[in-house]
Amino acid sequence: MSLATSIGEVRTRLANRGVDWTILIWIALAAILIFIVVNPLARLVLSSFEVVDGKGYTIDNYFAAYGRWRYVQALLNTLVMGAGVAVLSALFAVPLAWACARTDMPFKNFIRISVLAAFVTPPYLGAVGWVLLAGPNSGWINRAWVALTGATEPLVNVFSLGGLILIMACNLFFFIFVFVTAALELVSTEMEDAANVLGAGAFRTAFRITLPLVYPAILGGVIVVFLQSLALFGVPALIAIPARYPVVTTQLWQFFESPVRVEVAAAYAIPLLGITISLLGLQRWLLRRKGFVVVTGKGGERRITKLGAWRLPLLGYALFVCALSVLMPMVVLVQAAFSRAWGRGFSFDNLTLSNFQFVLFEHHGARQAVFNSITYAAIAAFFAISLSLCIAYIVNRKLLRFSGVLAFLCMAPFVIPGIVLAIGFYAAYAPPPLALYGTALILILSFTTRALPISYTNSAAGIRSVHPEMEEAVRVLGGGRFTAIRRVVAPLLKRSLVGAWILVFIPTCQELSTAIFLTGPNTRVMSVLMLDFSEEGKLEQLSALGGVLLVITIAIVALGFRIVGRDFMLRRIS
Amino acid sequence: MIGRMLVAALLVATWSLPAAAQLTPDAEKALYEAAKAEGSVNWYVAHYSTEIAERYGRAFTEKYPGVKVNVVRATSGVVFQRVVQELRSGPPQADVLASADISHYLELKRRGQLETYRPANSATLIEPMRRIDPDDQYHAVSFGLVVLMRRTDKVKAEDAPKAWTDLHDPRWRNQIALSHPSFSGSVTTWTAALNKAYGWSFFEKLEKNKPQIGRSLLDTNAMLKAGERTVGMALLQAAAQDQDKGEPIAPIYPTDGGVVIAGSMAIVKGAPHPNAAKLFMEYLQGEAFDRLQSQDFFEPMHEGVPSRTGLVLKNTKLLIISPEELLKAAPEVKDKWRDTFGN
Repeated sequence: MSLATSIGEVRTRLANRGVDWTILIWIALAAILIFIVVNPLARLVLSSFEVVDGKGYTIDNYFAAYGRWRYVQALLNTLVMGAGVAVLSALFAVPLAWACARTDMPFKNFIRISVLAAFVTPPYLGAVGWVLLAGPNSGWINRAWVALTGATEPLVNVFSLGGLILIMACNLFFFIFVFVTAALELVSTEMEDAANVLGAGAFRTAFRITLPLVYPAILGGVIVVFLQSLALFGVPALIAIPARYPVVTTQLWQFFESPVRVEVAAAYAIPLLGITISLLGLQRWLLRRKGFVVVTGKGGERRITKLGAWRLPLLGYALFVCALSVLMPMVVLVQAAFSRAWGRGFSFDNLTLSNFQFVLFEHHGARQAVFNSITYAAIAAFFAISLSLCIAYIVNRKLLRFSGVLAFLCMAPFVIPGIVLAIGFYAAYAPPPLALYGTALILILSFTTRALPISYTNSAAGIRSVHPEMEEAVRVLGGGRFTAIRRVVAPLLKRSLVGAWILVFIPTCQELSTAIFLTGPNTRVMSVLMLDFSEEGKLEQLSALGGVLLVITIAIVALGFRIVGRDFMLRRIS
Repeated sequence: MIGRMLVAALLVATWSLPAAAQLTPDAEKALYEAAKAEGSVNWYVAHYSTEIAERYGRAFTEKYPGVKVNVVRATSGVVFQRVVQELRSGPPQADVLASADISHYLELKRRGQLETYRPANSATLIEPMRRIDPDDQYHAVSFGLVVLMRRTDKVKAEDAPKAWTDLHDPRWRNQIALSHPSFSGSVTTWTAALNKAYGWSFFEKLEKNKPQIGRSLLDTNAMLKAGERTVGMALLQAAAQDQDKGEPIAPIYPTDGGVVIAGSMAIVKGAPHPNAAKLFMEYLQGEAFDRLQSQDFFEPMHEGVPSRTGLVLKNTKLLIISPEELLKAAPEVKDKWRDTFGN
C-alpha cells in the first residue's frame, strides 16, 4: 500500500467520523513548534524562578542577577554598545545601499560583493582580523603609525568600546544594506523627478525624498542590527574581556562558572527578551498610521541618479567601508594563517603551511568539527525550510483556521538572542528524560529554531509568488492537493528554496552563541573550536581554520549563484 | 635559559624512594581489553596547550591501538563549567578531567561526583606526587610553575623584572601580559598565592600599569610573540618550550617565588568509558609518559627521569597554595579581580 493511498484512507476514515483531517496536520506542526520554540522558552522563564540546585520556586534569582551594580552595569554597557553598533551600521549601510541601488557610482558590483563578503565572514573571525590590525602595540595600523610618525602612543586600540562597536558594525551593517536596497528598488523615480523639477539637487532629493520613503526599511534594519549585536558572544569574548567592558553575554557566561547558577543566568537573560519585544513594539508604534504606500506598490519608472562630481567621493566612501569591513581584516587573516608567528610580518622565513597542516591533519577534533558544522547546518537548514514551507503554504492558501499562530511561532525565535535560546534548550532538553546534552540532535534542533524566521520569510515569499490558479488547474483536471504540490508548486519553488536553504545554511554553519552552551566532546563545531583556539591566543591556527570555513562558505555561495542566479542573497533576505 | 640560571640538582634527592609496585602486565592487558571495547576516552584538559594535549593523546593511542583520545582543550574554568553542566543534566560526556585549579576537584569530590580509583602506577611516583588525595579521587599529573617572562629582543635580561613586585614599576605601563583567573586555573592559583604573599594591594598597584588580560595562561605567550606586550606572567614550561623553539621569549624565575601549579586529574563519576579512563590514568602516571612530558619542560614526577629545566626546587623559593586554601580563596579573589580590573 503506498503512502498516498494510506493517507487517503486515513483521511476518508476520519472524514467519516466527522473529523477534519487537516486539523491533524495543524496539530503535528504545532507540536513541532511547541517542542523547538515554546517549550525551551517556557523552561527558561520557569527556571529563572527555580531554587538553585534545589526544589521549589523563588524570586531570589532576580535579586542575585540584578542585586550587584556590576551586573546592572553590564546590561547598561550592552545597551550603549548596541546603540553604537546600530548607528555606525546605518552610517555604513545607507549611503552604500543608495549608491548601489540608485546612482551611477562605478564598481557597484564590487561593492555589493564586498558587502556580501563582510556578512559571510563570521563576526568572531572579523574580530581576530581587527586584533591583528589594531592591537595597541602589535597591530599593523599602530606599528605603521609609530614607524611613520615616531609617536609613542598607539593610534587606535581595538580593545575598547569603539573597537567593539566597529567590529560588530562591520559584520552587521549588511542587514540594513539589504533592507534598504530592497526598499529603494521599489521607490519609483517620479517623486524624485518632482523634486528635481522644483530645483533640488541629487543629494537634497536623496535626503528629502528618497531616504524618508525608505525610512521603515532603515528603521527595521537598525532594530535588527541592534538586537543582533546584543546577542553576539564571540566578539565580546575576544574584545570586551581585554577591553574590560563587561556585557550581558560575557556576564551570562560567568554565571556558568563555579558555582554554576543556571537559574540566575536564566533570570539575567529575561530582560534581553523584554528589550527585544519592546523594541519590535516600538517599531510598530513609530510606523503607525503613516502611509508608505509607495514602497509597497510596484510600477513607475526607476532611473539612476547621476552623481556628477560626487561619483568619486561616494566611491571613496564605499571603498573605505569595504576596506574596514572586509579587505583589511582579510589581508591580515590570510597573512596570519600562513605565518609561524603573525607578529613577525611578511617575510619568507615566517611563511608556513603548518597551521593548515595542524587544523586539517594533526588536530583530530578539527576535522570532526568541520564535518559537524557542515552536516548540522545542512540538516537544520533542511528541517527549518521544510517546516516553514508547510506552514507558509497553509497560511497563504488559508487551508486551516488559526494558521496565523503557526506563522507567529515561526517568527518568534527572531526575538530570542542565541545565547538565551541556548540556555532555554539547555534547561528543557539537557536533563533526563531526553538527556540530549552533548548530542548532535540538540544542536540541530536549536539551529533549526534559530533558522526558522529567515526560512519562514523566504518560504512565504516563495509561496506568494506561486498563484493558486495553477494548482486549481491541477485540481480541475482531477489531481488532488498533494499532486498539485508535488507536480506544480514544488518545481516552481525549486529555485527559491535552494536560495533559502543557502541563506539559512551559511549563518548556521558559523553559529557560535547557541553552540557554545550545547556542544559536547563529539559534537564540537568549527565556531566553538575557534573560540577555544582564541583562548590560547592561537590566532594563526584560528585564522587557518577560519580560512577553511570561508572557503566552504564561498563554495556554497558560488553554487547558489549558479543555481539561483546572482544577487540571490542580496535581494531575498528581507 | 632557566637551566643555566640555576644549578642543576634533583628535587627528588631528599624524598623517599617509591615502592616498586606498578601496573602488572596482566592487569594492564585486562584493562586494555576492556578499554578497547569502549573504543575511546574523552579527555577534558586545561593545563596543556592544544598541541601538547593532542600529541599526548596520540602517544597513548600508539601504545594502546584501538583506544582513541578525544581531546577537548579549554581553560580550567571552561572545562569545569562544561563538566558541571553535563553532570547536572544526566550522565556526563567527560571521562577524564585534568586541569590546574585543584579547588575544582574538591568541589566535585564534595558533591560525590568523582570516581574513586587508585592507579597502580601511582606507586612509582616520587613521594610528593603520590596519592595527593588520600581518598584516591584525584591525582597529580604534572608539576608546573608560574613565573615571569620577557620578550628577549625588546627587554634585556638586566632590565627585566626580577620579582613579581617589579611589575609595579611604571616602566611596564601597557607592557604587561596577564590572564584571567575566571578562565585559567593556573591564574586563579597565582592570584591566590600573590594575594596571600602581598595582600590585594599587589593587584591594585598592578592595575595602574594597565596590563592586557587574556583568558588562558598560554595567551600571554601569544601576546608576547605577537609583540603586543613585552613582559608577562607565564607557565614556566610554556615559556621554556617557546624559547626552545627559537621564539624570542625567555622565562625569568622571580626572586620572590614561582607559584606551584599542581596539574591534577580525576575520573568523572558515571563516565561513559570508565575502563579507558582508568587505562589512560595509568598511562599518565607511568614513567614512559613522564619522559615524554618532561621533554616539554614539565618537572619529572619519577626518579630517574631527567629534568629539562634543571630547576632546584628544594633550593628555590616557591609559593604554594594548598587545595583547601585555594577552595576558600578562589571565589573571593575572582570577585575582587573583577572589581579591580573591571572584566
